[in-house]
Amino acid sequence: MDILGTLTSFYALIPVTIAQSLIVAFVVLGVMLPFRILNFPDLTSEGAFPLGGCVCGTLITMGVNPFLACGVALICGFLAGCTTAFIHLRFKINTLLAGILVMTMLYSINLRIMGRTNIPLFTYDTVFTILAGSSANVSWVKILIVGALIALVVGAMLYFFMSEKGTSMRAVGASPDMAEAQGINVGIATILGVGAASALSATGGSIMVQTQGFVDVNMGFGILINGLAALIIGEAVTGRQSILRQVMAPVVGSIVYYQLISFCLTLGLAPADLKFATGAFVLLMLALPNLRKSGGSTQIREKVRE
Amino acid sequence: MTTDMLAVTGGTKIFYRGTPDERRALDGLNIALKPADFCIVIGSNGAGKSSFLNAVSGKLPLDSGRIKIDGLDVTKLNAHRRAQFIARVFQDPMIGTAPTMTIGENMLLAELRGKPRGFSYGLTANRRAKYREQLSELNLGLENRLDMPVGLLSGGQRQSLSLVMAVSTRPKLLLLDEHTAALDPRTAKLVMDTTVRAVEELHLTTLMVTHNMDHAIKYGNKIVMMDAGKVLLEIGPEEKRGITVPDLIDRFHTKSDAIALQGS
Repeated sequence: MDILGTLTSFYALIPVTIAQSLIVAFVVLGVMLPFRILNFPDLTSEGAFPLGGCVCGTLITMGVNPFLACGVALICGFLAGCTTAFIHLRFKINTLLAGILVMTMLYSINLRIMGRTNIPLFTYDTVFTILAGSSANVSWVKILIVGALIALVVGAMLYFFMSEKGTSMRAVGASPDMAEAQGINVGIATILGVGAASALSATGGSIMVQTQGFVDVNMGFGILINGLAALIIGEAVTGRQSILRQVMAPVVGSIVYYQLISFCLTLGLAPADLKFATGAFVLLMLALPNLRKSGGSTQIREKVRE
Repeated sequence: MTTDMLAVTGGTKIFYRGTPDERRALDGLNIALKPADFCIVIGSNGAGKSSFLNAVSGKLPLDSGRIKIDGLDVTKLNAHRRAQFIARVFQDPMIGTAPTMTIGENMLLAELRGKPRGFSYGLTANRRAKYREQLSELNLGLENRLDMPVGLLSGGQRQSLSLVMAVSTRPKLLLLDEHTAALDPRTAKLVMDTTVRAVEELHLTTLMVTHNMDHAIKYGNKIVMMDAGKVLLEIGPEEKRGITVPDLIDRFHTKSDAIALQGS
């Protein structure tokens, strides 16, 4: 195999991959928030991501301002997340099942919104053409725009989770009984938190369709596992000891994960095998703590207690 | 006459109503506490002690009856709304604190109990200084570990922290649900001493559930003995002075025998 050729093509793909990973970072943030902060394993992102894309794309073809279209997509995602949380809280349905229900129903909704399975957007103005004109398709321009946005979102999340309100939302995930005893409305915090997470995923979808130039109703397939894999890699890099590390993990993880994927593909991994490889990786990472001999982490705890 | 700090009248809660498993957890319960009363609640398992505490905290909505705190009817308020009046220490040290959050963040959650929470920064320098001072009274060194996750503390340390969190806001009502039962004797004594000191210094109206008869004798100014969701026996401040464990057990049996005779 031509090693130099492989490395060259991998190197050439780096900017494109970074741009893509920054967009998916929104979804990874949307996976992290319910899963890690609220202790509410949620699958809604798999439906909220294409929902954001469909809503935004359809509105753009109708001549709506792309910024406004993104805003509407965000609100739709928020409502989808709120629905999942409400189903869980009101009817005591398992969080994962509630997510699957919403995700499945969203597929029909997405098709209804679009009226067909895909819409090309190449000829329309997007957020990127408005901000960058003719250089909108240059990878570094996309990285700059999406990077600035993600920095803003991460900064806002970080501040929020250290604020009075954000601390109480974290308490809901850490110990619901304690949160309630401290006067926190657990139901409202859960609904708003899961809603915000799906709003992030939908925002990711609305940006994705504008960079790739088309909307496809199947664009969400597998995005959740990609997000989970990225989150786990990110946490392995940054750790989870502080809220700063926890909020940075999705972005770092997304960047590392997509470079790894790109590297595997240039090495000759068949794209068809990608989902299996990702799934196997997530399984391995989730199973790892139980594969190790028990007591490893408790020993450390005992030490700190001294 | 002063207003009762806590007044439960006719508190009734029936589980599985209308089925063969029907169980009256609370059966027309009447209890009144004056401000700064330290009331010990005793009774066998299933007597309704926990249901009583849960009904007061709002976790268990009553089927009928009323609950007033400092004259205000809270019967219809949710648990999180009642938290502005009530602080609670649970039996399980794992429940009373948020393990993945730091000591400082837990103190912040307690300080804002029942108050509006805004978007301003939480752990300000002022607050950190205040928490250090409050925690230093425990003499456990927790004041130097504000940024340590609570999950790394021992059960006794967590329970002591829960207690500081509960009393620091001077709640109208302090609920202690067998809060030393899960601790070793030495730690239990430490937590109990801290409890008594805080309750007396701050004149907190307190309800303490316990299975420990010695504690029931030694602490508090009032004993309430529960059975089958009712108050079986109430021992006031005058009577409580000089009472011994055998007295208490004797009176418990006399009373339940009398009821058994009436029933037959």
